[in-house]
Amino acid sequence: MANEATAAHGSHDHHPHGWRRWLYSTNHKDIGTMYIILSIVAAIIGGAMSVLIRLELMYPGIQFITDFQFYNVLVTGHAFLMVFFVVMPAMFGGFGNWFVPLMIGAPDMAFPRMNNISFWLVAAALVLLLISAFTQGGPGTGWTVYPPLSNVEYHPGPAVDLGILSLHLAGASSILGAINLIVTIFNMRAPGMTMHRMPLFVWSILVTAFLLLLAIPVLAGGLTMLLTDRNFGTSFFETSGGGDPILWQHLFWFFGHPEVYIIIIPGFGIISQVISTFSKKPIFGYLGMAYAMVFIGFVGFVVWAHHMYTAGLDADTRAYFVAATLVIAVPTGVKIFSWLATMWGGSLEFPAPMLFACGFIFLFVMGGVTGVALANSGMDLAWHDTYFVVAHFHYVMAIAAVLSIFAGFYYWIGKMSGRQYPKTLAKIHFWMFFIGVNVLFFPQHFLGMAGMPRRIPDYPDNYWGWNYVSSIGALITSISTVLFLFIVWRTFAAGDKVPANQWGEGATTLEWTVDSPAPFHTHEVLPDMTVQAPAE
Amino acid sequence: MARTHKYNGMTAAALFAVTGGMVGLAFASVPLYQLFCQVTGYGGTPKIGAIASEAVVSDRVIKIRFDANTNGELPWVFKPKQRQVTVKLGESRLAFYTAKNMGERAVTGTATYNVAPYKAAKYFSKIDCFCFSEQTLAPGEELPMPVEFIVDPEIFNDPNTRELRTITLSYTFFPTAAGEPPVDDKTSNARVHRTTKEAAQNPSPNSS
Repeated sequence: MANEATAAHGSHDHHPHGWRRWLYSTNHKDIGTMYIILSIVAAIIGGAMSVLIRLELMYPGIQFITDFQFYNVLVTGHAFLMVFFVVMPAMFGGFGNWFVPLMIGAPDMAFPRMNNISFWLVAAALVLLLISAFTQGGPGTGWTVYPPLSNVEYHPGPAVDLGILSLHLAGASSILGAINLIVTIFNMRAPGMTMHRMPLFVWSILVTAFLLLLAIPVLAGGLTMLLTDRNFGTSFFETSGGGDPILWQHLFWFFGHPEVYIIIIPGFGIISQVISTFSKKPIFGYLGMAYAMVFIGFVGFVVWAHHMYTAGLDADTRAYFVAATLVIAVPTGVKIFSWLATMWGGSLEFPAPMLFACGFIFLFVMGGVTGVALANSGMDLAWHDTYFVVAHFHYVMAIAAVLSIFAGFYYWIGKMSGRQYPKTLAKIHFWMFFIGVNVLFFPQHFLGMAGMPRRIPDYPDNYWGWNYVSSIGALITSISTVLFLFIVWRTFAAGDKVPANQWGEGATTLEWTVDSPAPFHTHEVLPDMTVQAPAE
Repeated sequence: MARTHKYNGMTAAALFAVTGGMVGLAFASVPLYQLFCQVTGYGGTPKIGAIASEAVVSDRVIKIRFDANTNGELPWVFKPKQRQVTVKLGESRLAFYTAKNMGERAVTGTATYNVAPYKAAKYFSKIDCFCFSEQTLAPGEELPMPVEFIVDPEIFNDPNTRELRTITLSYTFFPTAAGEPPVDDKTSNARVHRTTKEAAQNPSPNSS
């Protein structure tokens, strides 16, 4: 395919135009762009849902959501959109497609047409999910889709079935994308670009791809069982037929825990690139950083039942899962301290991407600390399903991941669009977003410790104060998101042209050796890395 | 390039195989999970058949309580004949529940079961039980539902279970899908999808 493409596009500026360029695209940069656009669209919808949730929770009593199933659908839709259609498409599909081939010196992905189907599958999945939300009450199951709530008795309409099919498509898309990226990274590196010289972003995508490959099929299997339970009279999770709803929890979390690493590990990669660039130093402890991600990925598969401490596990089982979960603090600590050590003594600059990277470290440490607390079964029995858990996972995987996406966006938008983002506005965006999300989520720790349960649209009056503060944080965050959209418009409408390497001596990876914006075809002459210093 | 292409195809094929393998594992987890529950007593799954240590009847005793639940769709009154019994360890014991069909049609039901606390399950053996097969009651019919069980004396040697003085045996009766009696023994039911005979050989207890 690559040969064919090279032959067809012998002259430099010849490439398909109009809708064909996008619909039939086999170009990793165009597909990456489409992923990023899809992510922004889904983020607006998913973000709007969370604003509705926060507005409802701003005061005790029912404000405007009188249909509680609708509230459940909001919670479910927000989670699905943010996990499968915002963070994954932005980092893995978007930045992964754009920059893995550039960074390893490959002309494109290994299977460009498979790349195309990966994108259009996830686009179709998004449409299915939105249809599901508008079908007979919508799916009010939460993103965990636990039976019996997701059984046909409690969700009789086709909404849950549509949601399951949507996840099947999104899963197929992710598996194809993962295979494509693994093959690209294994087989298409430039001469001299050994595994141990790959930029850490490429390592992060490689680890993520393997997590997807091993985790998504288990979700697909579980979802298929749920689908047949709902429609064809099987009883995998149906007690009356000898099935067991707890089995679903095991299958779901065997996928679900690696999934949260799928979300955050590409963020680790982006943050490593950004911090190294703006410290003007190679990353501290390169091999430790790379293998910390591999180790996190591995351990991520053997800790799933820490989501199920209240499901009736015996004491010995819980003791194992507590210990295994606490072990994760070691490789994540290696990463945090290596980032700090990279900055230590560096020639630091703080443009917007670096601000977002520093914000990421703060948020990730915050979420990590509450994670260590929650890992303990005894504590979790009290905190399970409270707002403490909501605060924890939003810190560690939601807003930390979004900060890393913004870091990557500001870091690479010059390379992607050829234009400079408005620098001051970007810094204002950072501070508004950072303050907004902290005001939004920090008080939820207090609410959770006071016992406020998740997923309920009302609460006793004594929880009012911090809920009000939290909702104010949500409003600040949404204003900053509007500012971000304005910045995107402004960048394309009035941004100055940027040179090939806009960040100077700190930016050593291969994407900075090609023009900005990156030409349609890059690395037509393979870069020779055999003589260069490792690119970190 | 041609060499890269060949390698690409091979790598992708291997990765697709891994994907297929993981889907297979997800489905294999269903019987594996059931087996795991039966072997370890996980989730309160009692043993079936005789106990391992050849029944040495011990002087020590343990209290067995009986719990009965009926699914709302089954018009039966299902209750234990005795609230509790005290049994010697290692001694097999027969206990009875009764079930009465209050409805106007013959109905078939099956009972799922487990014991509490869960950790007692691996020392609790059912030698025979009404729950191993589907039960059909004519309108107004009342039948005794026997269960024969034995508690392994090993329960007092295990540091995790030696403090137990009471075990609760629990059943929940569900209607089979249509709630109609099967025409004959071999008619498998779509919902419960196992025949009486299979159920006896391979009982699927509750929460395991």
